[in-house]
Amino acid sequence: MDLLKLINKELRAEILNKEIIITMLAFGLSIIVIISFTSNLSKQIIEAYAPGLFWLMMLFVTVLGVHRSYAYEKEFNAIDLILTTPIDRGLIFIAKSLSGFIFITLMQILIIFPYFIFLSIDINIDFFPLILSTLLINLALMFVSNLISGISMRARISEILFPVILFPLISPLIIAATNITNSIINQAPYIEWQVWIYLLISILIVFGLSGYALFDFILEE
Amino acid sequence: MFYENKKNLYLLIVAIILFAFNSLNIFYGTPMVPDQHWAQKIFYLHVPSAWVGFLSYFIAMISGFLFLSTKKEKWDITGTACAEIGTLFMSLVLITGPIWATPIWGKPWIWEPRLTTTLILFLTYVGYFMMRAFGGNIERVKKTSAVIAIIAFLNVPIIFYSVQFWSPELQSHPQVEMNQQPTGILIPFMISLFVFSFIFFVMLSYRKYVISINKNLTNNV
Repeated sequence: MDLLKLINKELRAEILNKEIIITMLAFGLSIIVIISFTSNLSKQIIEAYAPGLFWLMMLFVTVLGVHRSYAYEKEFNAIDLILTTPIDRGLIFIAKSLSGFIFITLMQILIIFPYFIFLSIDINIDFFPLILSTLLINLALMFVSNLISGISMRARISEILFPVILFPLISPLIIAATNITNSIINQAPYIEWQVWIYLLISILIVFGLSGYALFDFILEE
Repeated sequence: MFYENKKNLYLLIVAIILFAFNSLNIFYGTPMVPDQHWAQKIFYLHVPSAWVGFLSYFIAMISGFLFLSTKKEKWDITGTACAEIGTLFMSLVLITGPIWATPIWGKPWIWEPRLTTTLILFLTYVGYFMMRAFGGNIERVKKTSAVIAIIAFLNVPIIFYSVQFWSPELQSHPQVEMNQQPTGILIPFMISLFVFSFIFFVMLSYRKYVISINKNLTNNV
């Protein structure tokens, strides 16, 4: 119940302000335009790099969105108010991750068509595994970024510390995400890329459990 | 003073003698490997540096756990000292690896899984030190640093396997077959491993002393 209340709080704050999704979307579109301008390459090369570019864009968008989500808490001292309630602090991490998962998934739904159109990508995709794997990757992205954002939230230069700590730690996930998406687009047999799914599940377990267990220490005064 | 304690002074003298003996032994007491010549000798420094680096980061993780659970200052001091020494040795790994790789692989960097794991860990610890330096509230920084040390080490197998699967065609370091090496190579290698470990513990005790003195000074100002 506490978890649902916390998720509800995050969603209601976003419905009122619409800051996170609009920021993520505007930033994502800007990146697509920049990628289009800087990659005046052949269609084949663009299609080969499309999954990597997509997840790179998602990484930058995540940094912006998750940082904004924690900046709210900092600006209004909301996190201190939540900490006065008898709520398991690990649930705050789960709620932040799940609400972030909803935001990034919504953003991807809105941005995927401009991405394909601006970069002139024309590929036949098996949608079911692509959607399923993307959802899992989004969740992992949110577990890792929320844990690091929680760590850097109250630091003096949080906006710099967050990406500096996040990028090295999240690199295995970006490698896995790129390879999974690439394999699905190229219609490779599952046996060839199942190892990346195992790696993705390991990241979900390690960072999900670490975040849940360590958030208590991260937030305590 | 640290070296007024006779035990510490003797340990330092023994460490200096061992280091000098080890260096001479590597240059004059080890056989020349036909296809690698002098380049191979760097492995007597490279592998022990990597061992000490990973050992330091492992102890930093354990200290992180112990600090979070007991809140005892000594674990924060041990964790900081290990992070510093580990980063020093990881820097040596990142310098000696490309020096060895240039004549052997033809280029200094080929995203070999162990070196890449070292690089990512090194970058994570750059974030750790930035958090220490610019994090703000000292008590909070201690906790967040402990959390970074924990997740940085938990991420090691994930980074290693992700890079290995990402570039399976790359060669592995020769230390995989170290136990199958002739005794002329194996014994000096084991001696070097022991000497580096000994130097690590001498450095650790000195660094812990310096950090605790600094903390006392900061607290008294």
